[in-house]
Amino acid sequence: MRILKTTLLLSILFSLSSCLEIIDDVSLNTDGSGTFKYTVNLSSSKSRVNSILSLDSLDGKKVPSIDEIKTKVSSFKTNLENQEGISNVTIESDYENFFFRLTCDFESVAKLQNGLKIVIEEETNETDIPELDHSWLSWDGTKLVRSIPEITIKKAKELSAEDIEMLKLGTYTSISRFPRNVLKCDNTSATISKNNLNVMIKTNPYALSQNANLLENTIYLVPNKN
Amino acid sequence: MKHFILGACLFLTGQTFSQFSEDLIPKEAITVFSVNNIRLLQKISIDDLVKYEFMEEVQQELFDGSTSNKTLKDAGLDFDQKLNVFYGKTKDYEISGFTFGIKDKEKLFVVFDDFEKLESSFDGVDFYGSFFNNLIIKGSSALLVRIEPTEERIADKTDSIWYSRGLEYPWINYVDDPGFEEDFIDEIPEESDMEYYDYSVDDVPIMEETDPNQKNYFELRDSVQIEMQAELLNNLCTDLLLNNINLKTSDPRFEGQLTHESEGIFYLDNSRNIQKANGLWYFQTMFPNLYDDIREIYNENVLLGDLFLNDNNIQFVMDAKYGEKLGSIYEKMNDAKFDKNVIKYIPKSNTAYFTYNVNMREAYEQAYKIIMPMLQDKKDPQISANVLTIELINEFVNKDALFGTYKGSMFGTFNGIKKVTTTKIVFDYDEDTFEYSETEEEAEEDMPIFTIGFTTERGDIPFKVLKHLSRLTSRFKDMGEYWVYEDAILGAAPLYMISKNGLFIFTNDEDLALNHASGYGSESISKKDAKKSKKSGFMYAQIDWANAIDRFPRDFFNARQNEIIDAMRGKTGIMELTSSKTSVSGTQFNLEYNYQGSFDNSGKYLLDLLNSLYVITK
Repeated sequence: MRILKTTLLLSILFSLSSCLEIIDDVSLNTDGSGTFKYTVNLSSSKSRVNSILSLDSLDGKKVPSIDEIKTKVSSFKTNLENQEGISNVTIESDYENFFFRLTCDFESVAKLQNGLKIVIEEETNETDIPELDHSWLSWDGTKLVRSIPEITIKKAKELSAEDIEMLKLGTYTSISRFPRNVLKCDNTSATISKNNLNVMIKTNPYALSQNANLLENTIYLVPNKN
Repeated sequence: MKHFILGACLFLTGQTFSQFSEDLIPKEAITVFSVNNIRLLQKISIDDLVKYEFMEEVQQELFDGSTSNKTLKDAGLDFDQKLNVFYGKTKDYEISGFTFGIKDKEKLFVVFDDFEKLESSFDGVDFYGSFFNNLIIKGSSALLVRIEPTEERIADKTDSIWYSRGLEYPWINYVDDPGFEEDFIDEIPEESDMEYYDYSVDDVPIMEETDPNQKNYFELRDSVQIEMQAELLNNLCTDLLLNNINLKTSDPRFEGQLTHESEGIFYLDNSRNIQKANGLWYFQTMFPNLYDDIREIYNENVLLGDLFLNDNNIQFVMDAKYGEKLGSIYEKMNDAKFDKNVIKYIPKSNTAYFTYNVNMREAYEQAYKIIMPMLQDKKDPQISANVLTIELINEFVNKDALFGTYKGSMFGTFNGIKKVTTTKIVFDYDEDTFEYSETEEEAEEDMPIFTIGFTTERGDIPFKVLKHLSRLTSRFKDMGEYWVYEDAILGAAPLYMISKNGLFIFTNDEDLALNHASGYGSESISKKDAKKSKKSGFMYAQIDWANAIDRFPRDFFNARQNEIIDAMRGKTGIMELTSSKTSVSGTQFNLEYNYQGSFDNSGKYLLDLLNSLYVITK
């Protein structure tokens, strides 16, 4: 049943047309540690979100109450705090504007991915989610290879054609930040910031659901002088 | 949506019946649609009918999907007879089916090709069967019927036979079973999710392979079900074919309805319908006498309807008939004077509105007079305690204040969609660093604009509540002419409350609150429309579909939904609901759809509309 709630939440997120704005933001330090930020902004359609939340059920599935969402968010935070190599977990939640931001520090990208995998499995009470085994971040000190978690694509593909159509108006922004200059990156859609330390790719959730490779990028840094 | 359209198509395209098809409707039928093919086919030719795209699926449904490329024309049906679709339910079984006329039996079995002839124990009657469906042909009329005993009755009888044979309890007791795995408990849904959990036999870990008794029980159960069906069918046929007992001979109201010169008739016996209301099972089990009394209130409660396809409109006339007790409550409730003040608050530019005149005080007093003696007769301590509570409330509560505040009469308007100002969070990116910050800025969202108002003599009482609420939160504000509750609607738009002219009004229409708190004056609906509301019995409603469709904001709907809305453009009109005064014996309702656009006749208009919707939703 928990997975039903989580799926429903994801479904609601993905079925909000104009509204869905996601930013995933990874800052890496020289030693491979860093900070991960994941922001979901639904404020453009808060009346629509409110109207969904006012329902008992939608398409035969129970709609969670605000209290249930708060409980789930709190449980997610506590669980993530307890994962090895993850610290300083904060979740900003604004239930008036429906704006959420998860921030945490990590010791390595491997520990970040592993921690998130464990928490998602525990929160959904589902131990066999093959998509979570997918590595969406790897860092060897000179280059960062990143995509987006396959679970996100999986959930998007489960949506109806009509819902997917509605994703066209949303935005998905992926930002990678580094301690030294970026030399180049593979993805031609990527933009390097003027200070050469950051890379950004912007797309929309619809395009992403149709082509998971849109955000795939290998970012090479200038060699370390040491 | 698709099923609704198909249902409507089935109803409208009803092929069938010979002059006596209605004589084969079982007396157990609670709901009946009867299509007068002769009148209908004067407006829609069968040649035109079978050309519609939706007919392909209708024919597949009718002929059980087994015969492709066959149309109604090929089915050997007698279109000089009526088609009657019925459904009924008793505490022991459900019955459903339809009756129709036959012109050519050979052709009929070309489309009903999966029916096999069965032995008949009724002279001059042929029986055919296909799984659980039975086709019974008498003369030139036929009854296609399915009877399903309720699960409860099947289980009762099966258990009775099972245990009388000295057999053991047929279910596995998992809790006491040492082999029971506790992991199974994890699969049981949380209580809060129970209603959303679809149970099926597969959810119960029945081990058929290791427990032969279990399988035998189901075999016995299947046999019992088949036997019960056979017995029920035999009883049904004895009534219908030997004793001439059917709905027409059992209920003169239905018989009278069949004589109406309309394209279709509708019959719903509410007095029997209430027996299948699941919410009353507790009363039925625990307080059978009280349940009988409640049923008595609903005696003679029946809805009779006629569908007319006129030159320029489609009309549905409905007669709600009541028994004396229920009728006396409704009569008192609906005996309310029309509140002329509501007219001031219905703008000319509305998309839809309704007025509703009810006298809650009179209804309460009459219901008290009818229901309390029933309760007072009961010796049950629980009912007795409830009676005392009700009597004390009746004595202590200030009914003048209560029913003065909420008299019962009300009105509502829908004024289309307006943009409302709200806020959203946007991100500002620094091009040098891609750092971003959030800022809140104004935004616009589409919001349906509505108004609901109640007649009140005590506008001071709601304001006491509002004053209290304003002390608790700053979102309630007294603006002098009106009150406002900020961000009340979907967390984005304010709700305005106005107490003027003996009305207490809720609206999210800022223009009404700010500029028309005392009414729209000359901008309110015309005197002609006001007169219609006033003259209509206890309720009146009007919807301007053309206006409504034009006002639907396209970005409120997805591409598919917008296609459906576009398909309806040009096939729109005004829908109007009127009612008579309510008497002890009943209330009459008239729903009329006056349409616009080009059309040959109302029947073709309706089929065109249905076909458009079908094609879009296919």
